[in-house]
Amino acid sequence: MVEVNITGTNAITYPHLNIWDWTIGMYLFLGGLTAGVMIIASLLQLREKPITSTGDRARACSLGPILSFLMINVGMFFVFIDITRKINAFWFYLHFNPTSPMSWGAWGVGIIIPLTFIWGIASLEDKHLPFIAKWKVLVDIFHKFLLYRLVLARINLSLGIFLGIYTGILLSFFVARPLWNNALLPILFMVSGLSAGAALLIIIAKDNGEKLYLTKIDVGLIAAEIIVILLFFASQLTSTAPHVAAIAPFFTRGFYFPFWIATFLIGIFLPIAFVMDIIKISLSRTEYVKFPIFRMHLSAWFVVIGSFIIRQAFVYVGQLSSILDITNRW
Amino acid sequence: MPRYGMVIDQKRCIGCMACVVACKRENDVPEGHYRTRVVETVYGKFPNLLMEMRPELCNHCKNAPCVYNCPTGASYKREDGIVMINQKKCVGCKACLAACPYDMRFIDPKTGAAHKCTLCEHRIKEGKDPACVTTCLSKARIFGDFDDPESPVSKILAKEFVRELLPAAGTKPFVYYKGQILL
Repeated sequence: MVEVNITGTNAITYPHLNIWDWTIGMYLFLGGLTAGVMIIASLLQLREKPITSTGDRARACSLGPILSFLMINVGMFFVFIDITRKINAFWFYLHFNPTSPMSWGAWGVGIIIPLTFIWGIASLEDKHLPFIAKWKVLVDIFHKFLLYRLVLARINLSLGIFLGIYTGILLSFFVARPLWNNALLPILFMVSGLSAGAALLIIIAKDNGEKLYLTKIDVGLIAAEIIVILLFFASQLTSTAPHVAAIAPFFTRGFYFPFWIATFLIGIFLPIAFVMDIIKISLSRTEYVKFPIFRMHLSAWFVVIGSFIIRQAFVYVGQLSSILDITNRW
Repeated sequence: MPRYGMVIDQKRCIGCMACVVACKRENDVPEGHYRTRVVETVYGKFPNLLMEMRPELCNHCKNAPCVYNCPTGASYKREDGIVMINQKKCVGCKACLAACPYDMRFIDPKTGAAHKCTLCEHRIKEGKDPACVTTCLSKARIFGDFDDPESPVSKILAKEFVRELLPAAGTKPFVYYKGQILL
């Protein structure tokens, strides 16, 4: 039996859940979603053949880039809410620490925001011009960068990969937190961001051909996500005692019930979305044009919500454990 | 250049918590937060019990995760080995709180900046020992310069068996423990 009594306990010692809260979960979710949209939209732009049934330009190509700009800004807003000395935020851009993932992230997002903005405006179509006609600057950007659309797509593809991996690296660099300190976490967040990005593009797509093409991409990504999640837990289970203890909240009811629910929902949503997508693709060979949009969107929403739950659960559960228990620090 | 650090003699610690109080008083630590703590752990079943007293503070690590994770350079390591926080540069991103394996940092609710033990560097400047060391009734906390072979801490390290907290974390702390119960 071990009894511990601590005098001088900071809130972070017991419980740990005091470092980062849902705002950082939102930031990581939106960052991953942005990365997914950036990668898929840029790849579709670089693809020469149209993916729509009518041969028109896909919405993923025209609206995806501007959507990624909006989402990364909302994500940064959540970071701004979280930092406790907002007036000092400019220090992120007066210093670069190569060993700090957050420093890489701050500079990276600082580059991503203007580039997604230019790419987003340049990727719009002529029919969207009346919406931005009020702002001459935007129209000028559109005309100036229209020819460089593909160059911007290539740059944003690289930046999307950087952003997707960064959201996982941010957590996996902390040796003190055994749930986060796993090399599979950046891969999990990257794959999860990609599948959620594809799902979001399915939701915004208008053409059924485009929806189906993105569904075919997403089904592979969901499968990869499920495999990486299973591998992540397997790697934790076969690691040290703190790593094993770190995943316990995902499988324990009682005090950890919300995290158990998170595991349950992820375990339900992703396989359902996978099966629904498979059914959609097999039905599409006959008459996909008539396929109800509701079912197309339902599986996509499952993937987006699943991705959101993964980020929030990992942010909270990661703070419940430390590299070694306070009773056994030697 | 000195290399400041501490040796804690666990056999001498009586758990009076005077160090915790002295630290709070000396550094004006905000209510509900602490820069040092004492962990009392009782092992076994009555009447066969073992008690361990373990004062803990910032370990002023050689390989400090708080320093290499700080995005703004607010957390830095001085040449004398003390890990400090430049309050003007701190943005309150809490990366250092997440990074510290010893959970020794906190956010000051008044300023929003990260805070932690500074080994009472303002007292060291005046040639004094940190407040927790000066106030320790049983002389369980021993402060000194590890680069000076004549300092009490160097002598202990040369002769006695000492351990550090969480060696597996690879942080190379400069707070050593001696006289602990071995289970």
